[in-house]
Amino acid sequence: MVRAGKEKEKESSVAKSEKLKMKKTKDLKPLEAQLQELDTPTLSDSDSDSGSDSDSGSGSGSESDYDDFSEDDGSESEDYESLRDSETGRTDSSQDEGDVDTGDNDGLANDRSNEEQSESTDVHPGVEESDSSEDEVAPRNTIGDVPLEWYRDEKHIGYDITGKKIKKKEREDKLQSFLASADDSKNWRKINDEYNDEVVELTKEETKLIRRMLAGKAPHADFDPYAPYVDWFKWDDAKHPLSNAPEPKRRFIPSKWEHKKVVAYRRAIRKGLIKFDKPKEEPPVYLLWGDESNSTEKSGHLAYIPAPKPKLPGHEESYNPSSEYIPTQEEINSYQLMYEEDRPKFIPKSFTSMRNIPAYENAVKESFERCLDLYLCPRVRKKRINIDPESLKPKLPSRKDLRPYPTSCYLEYRGHTDAVLSVSVETSGQWIASGSMDGTVRVWEVETGRCLRVWNVDEAVRCVAWNPVRELPILAAAVGPDVFILNTGLGNEEEQERIRELINVKTTTSPDDSDNTASIASWHQDDKHGGIRLRHFKSVSSVEWHRKGDYLSTVMPADILFQHYLAIVVHQISKKLTQRIPFKLHGLPVTSVFHPTRSIFFIATKKNVRVYELVKQKLIKKLETGLREVSSIAIHPAGDNVIVGSREGKLCWFDMDLSSQPYRTLKCHPKDITSVAFHRSYPLFASCSDDCTAYVFHGTVYSDLNQNPLIVPLEILRGHKSSNGRGVMDCKFHPRQPWLFTAGADSVIKLYCH
Amino acid sequence: MAMDGDAEENSRRVQARFVTKLNPPFKVPATSIAIPSNLTRLGLSTIVNNLLQAENSDWEPLPFDFLIDGELVRMSLEKFLLAKGISAEKILEIEYIKAVVPRKEQEPSIHDDWVSAVDGSSPGVILTGCYDGLGRVWKAAGECTHILEGHSSAITSASIINPEGEERVTVATASKDQTVRLWKFSTEEPVNSRLKIRPFKILRGHKASVQSVSAQTSGDMVCSGGWDCTISLWQTNEINTEGDLVPIKKKKTNDQAGESQLEGEAVSTLVGHTQCVSSVKWPQRETIYSASWDHSIRRWDVETGKNVLDIFCGKSLNCLDLGGESSMLIVAGGSDPILRIWDPRKPGTSAPVFQFSSHTSWISACKWHDKSWFHLVSASYDGKVMLWDLRTAWPLAVIDSHKDKVLCADWWKGDSVVSGGVDSKLRISSGISI
Repeated sequence: MVRAGKEKEKESSVAKSEKLKMKKTKDLKPLEAQLQELDTPTLSDSDSDSGSDSDSGSGSGSESDYDDFSEDDGSESEDYESLRDSETGRTDSSQDEGDVDTGDNDGLANDRSNEEQSESTDVHPGVEESDSSEDEVAPRNTIGDVPLEWYRDEKHIGYDITGKKIKKKEREDKLQSFLASADDSKNWRKINDEYNDEVVELTKEETKLIRRMLAGKAPHADFDPYAPYVDWFKWDDAKHPLSNAPEPKRRFIPSKWEHKKVVAYRRAIRKGLIKFDKPKEEPPVYLLWGDESNSTEKSGHLAYIPAPKPKLPGHEESYNPSSEYIPTQEEINSYQLMYEEDRPKFIPKSFTSMRNIPAYENAVKESFERCLDLYLCPRVRKKRINIDPESLKPKLPSRKDLRPYPTSCYLEYRGHTDAVLSVSVETSGQWIASGSMDGTVRVWEVETGRCLRVWNVDEAVRCVAWNPVRELPILAAAVGPDVFILNTGLGNEEEQERIRELINVKTTTSPDDSDNTASIASWHQDDKHGGIRLRHFKSVSSVEWHRKGDYLSTVMPADILFQHYLAIVVHQISKKLTQRIPFKLHGLPVTSVFHPTRSIFFIATKKNVRVYELVKQKLIKKLETGLREVSSIAIHPAGDNVIVGSREGKLCWFDMDLSSQPYRTLKCHPKDITSVAFHRSYPLFASCSDDCTAYVFHGTVYSDLNQNPLIVPLEILRGHKSSNGRGVMDCKFHPRQPWLFTAGADSVIKLYCH
Repeated sequence: MAMDGDAEENSRRVQARFVTKLNPPFKVPATSIAIPSNLTRLGLSTIVNNLLQAENSDWEPLPFDFLIDGELVRMSLEKFLLAKGISAEKILEIEYIKAVVPRKEQEPSIHDDWVSAVDGSSPGVILTGCYDGLGRVWKAAGECTHILEGHSSAITSASIINPEGEERVTVATASKDQTVRLWKFSTEEPVNSRLKIRPFKILRGHKASVQSVSAQTSGDMVCSGGWDCTISLWQTNEINTEGDLVPIKKKKTNDQAGESQLEGEAVSTLVGHTQCVSSVKWPQRETIYSASWDHSIRRWDVETGKNVLDIFCGKSLNCLDLGGESSMLIVAGGSDPILRIWDPRKPGTSAPVFQFSSHTSWISACKWHDKSWFHLVSASYDGKVMLWDLRTAWPLAVIDSHKDKVLCADWWKGDSVVSGGVDSKLRISSGISI
C-alpha cells in the first residue's frame, strides 16, 4: 500500500512538473495544434534518457522500501518511536522532494537540462525550490520567477549563476524565421524558450509524452495505473505481535497539560473572568399581535400553552356595518331553531351614531365567566395519541363466512304457564322436553311446535334431560327433592317394552339400608307418571346423563350447613343403584357434567371447575375461573375445551391442553348467565342470560395443537320478555341443525333458525 | 271511461291492444286504444270490463290479470314499462287472463285435532290426516264420508294412490307410529254417516316417525321417508301372490268386521340422507325425489337405488313438489320463509331459478297446479296460504283464513285450494280460475 501511494505521488509530481514546464513554454499552444495535425511524426532521437529514468525510479523505490521498514519498526519502544517519528517525518519530506525530482527527471526538463549542462558547465541552483537533486540542472538564467517583460528593453535576458549578464541573442526577423521554418522540416518541433532565450527542439519521446498528456493518459507508456496490487506484508503467519512492548505508563496517567489548562480555566472562573449566564437583554419592543407560540423563550418552557387567539374584529363588529352584514329578520328567527352551540354569538346591528350604542348587557356576566375560566379551567395539554380505532379491533373473519348460525326466530312453543326453567333436546332432534315453574314437564314436537305430552308434577321442574341413547326415549326431571325418570312413550313397541322393564322398580329401597349411600336417595315406583321417583333428601338442581344412558348424576346445591361431600350422587338406572362420587369434594358444587367421550367427570364449584378421572378416581385438573360465581358449564364435543358461564355475566373459555387459566374471557351479558351450550357438530356455542338475550358465538377448535381456538361473536338473539327480573333461563342447540332453543321466563320456548 | 278524469288528462298515454286466449265471451275487439300510463291492474281490469260490457250489456265485471311480454303486471303500467325497458311508443300488446284469486271461501270442515296432511289429487274426495291418528275422507266441505281408523299416533302424510279409479279409492297414510297404512274405500255408495274403515295393509319397517308418503303413478308401489333418514319402497297390492321377498303374516284383528290385515315389509330402502327425510315424491316410474332436513334434495333411481342428483339448499326442507314446465321443476320450502324453485335440467348450477319470499315463517307445504305450468300454492307457519305465478314475484293471492300455522295445502279439482292447520280446520277456497 505504501508503495502504491508513492507511485501515485510520483505520478502526480510528474504532472506537476509538466505543468510547470507548460507554463514556462508559451509556445506550446501552436505545438499542440501541430501535434494534432500531424498523424505520424517522423522523429529520430536517442532513447538514452529512458534508461536513466528507470534507474532513478528504481532508486527511489528502494528508498521508500527502506522507509516502510523503518516505519514498521517504529513501535518497538515509545521513546524510540517518537524519536523516529520526527526523523521519518524529515526523511519523508526529503523523500518527497526526491520524488518530485525523479518525477522531473522523467519530464522534459531533464533532457533540456542535460542539454544545458552540455552547453554550459555552470551549475545553477534551481529556480524551482524542489530542484535540489544531484542530477537536476538548474536553468541558465537566475532571475527567478519574475515577469520577463521587465527585461524586454534590456540587452540581456538575465544573469547566470556567477552573476554575469546573459546577452540576448540576435532576433531573426519574421521573414527569416518564416523562411527558416519553411526550409526546416523539424521547425515545428522547435520551441522558443524565452526564459533562457534559446530554442529547444523537442525529441520524439517528448512529443509522445505531450501527446499522451493531451489524451488524458499517464505520461509514461510503461506506467500501468491499474497494476495488480501486491500485498507485500504477510498477514497470516504473524505469531507474535509486531511490538511486544508493554503499555506505556503515559497512557495511564492523566495529561499534565490538560490538567494545567483546567486549572487555568478554574482560576479564571473563580476570578470572574469567564461568565456563563449572561443576562439577556430584553428587546425594547415586541410584536403585540404576533404568534406567541413560536417565540423561542416561551415555547422552550414545557408547560407553556399559548392562549387561543380570539378572532380579530371584522366589519360586522362595526357599530354601523354595511347592510350586507346585517341579518334579516328571517335569519334571526332561524337562529332560534339552531342548537345553542351552533347559534352565532354575535348578531350585527346597525347604529347611526356611537352614542346610540347601548351598554353591553352581558359585560359583567362575561367578565365573571372569563374569570371563572381562568381560575377553574387551567389549560391542560392533553397527551393524546392518534390511533385509528379500527386498527385496534382484532382481525376476525366475517360473519358471513361463518354461516350457518341461528339468527331469527320462526317457531315458538307455547303452553307453559310460568317460566320455563330447562329445556332438553332429544338426540335425533325430533322432540324437545321442557320443565317449568308451573310444575309441568312437556314434550314438544320440534317441527310443528305441538305439545305431545304433559306430566303434571305439582312442583317447579328445575331441570330436564333426555337420555342420550336414541333407543331409550326417557326423560329425567329434577322436581324439588325428587328426580323423575319418565317414559315418553315414543318409539315402537319393542322399545317401549324395554323401557317399561327398565324403569320398573320392584323393591323400594328403604332409607335404613346398611349402606350409607341409601340415605342419599331412595328409589320408588311412581305409577302416576309412569316412571321412577328418586327421592333425595335435598332439592336437586341439575340432572345430567352419562353418554351411555345408564348413569345419571344429580347435584344438590350445597350450602354451608350441609354435608357437601354428598352434594353430587350418581345413579345407575339398570341396577337401581345410587352411589356417592368416589372422591373428595372441595368447594360448593353448582353443576356437574360427564365428558362426551372419556370417563372424565367435571364438577363446577362456585369458583373453580374440577376435572376428575372416573376410572382412576383422582383429580386431573383444576380450572381456575377467576369468576365470582359459576352458574353453568358446557364441554366441547371433542372434550378438550370447556366454557363456563358465571353469575356476573362473564363467559370463560378454557382450553384444557393450554392452561388451567381461561383462554379467553368474554364479558357480554350485563346480567347473570343462566346457561351455556356447545353445538354437537357445528362450531357454535351460545350463552343465555337474564338480560333476555342469548349470544351465539363461533368457536372453532383446531385439531392442530399449535393453533388456538378461534372465537367470533356472531349474533345476539332477542325476543324473550323479562319476567320477575329473569330473562332466558336455558338454551340448547339442536343436535343436527344450527338452531338454538331458548327457554324464557316469559313461559315461551323459542327456536332460532339459521 | 269513468276513471279518466281531468286529472289524468295530462298524464302520458300509451297505445295498447288487449288480446286474450280466453273463449269468445271474454274477447274484446282487437283495436288499439290509448290508455293512461299510470293505470294499475285495477284500472286495466276496469277498461277490459267496460269494453266487454259495451258488446254485451249484461256483463258481470270480473277481475283480470295482465301479461306484458310474459310477465304479470303488478305495478302501475308506467313503472312496469320503465322497469322492463319496454318502449312506450309502440302499440303495447297486453294479454289478459282471468285473475287467479279464490272467490269463495267454503265452510270449514272441523277436525278433532290439528290437520297435518291433505291430499286433493282425486277430484271426488279430499283426504286429510289428523293429529288424533285418524284419516278422514271428505266429499265436500263439511261432508265427511269415511274415517280411517288404525294409527296409534298422529298422521303426518296422506296420499291417494289411484286417483283415477273412481269406485274404489286406495290411499296411504304415514304416521308418527312408525308405520305406513294402506286403506281402501269406495266412493260410490252414498254414505251419510261416517263410515269407519280399517287399513288393509300395514307397512312396518321404519325405525322412527314416518314423515312423508308418496305413490308411484301406476299405483303399484309407495315410497315413504322418515326420521330414520331412509326412504322405503313398498308394494301396495292387496293379495300376496308372489310371496317372494315379502313375507306377509296374516293377523286377526279385534275388529268386529274380522277383516284380515296384511303386513308388508319394505321392498328396498334408499339410504343416503343423513337427517330426517321430510318429503318424498314419486312423479315418474323410475325416479323418486326426496327433500330432507340435511339441507339436500335428492333424486333417486329406483332401479339401482342410487342417488343420481343432489341439490344443496342450505336450509332444512319440509316440503317438495315436482311440476311446472314438463313437470321437471322442483319446488321446495323449509325452515325459512323463502319458497325456492330449482330447474334440475340447468347444468352446472344448484342455484334456485325462482325465489318467492313473501311468507314470514317456515313453509310447511307447497304444491304445483297439475294443469298449469305457472301456478303453485304454498302454506306457511305464519298462517297464510299463498298462490304463486312464476311470471311474477308477488303472490297472486293470499288466503288468510287460518288462525294459526298452516300445516298442509293442496289443489283440489283444479280450481280450489284445500288447506289444513293448527286450528283443526280444513278450509276450502274455491272458484280459482286457471
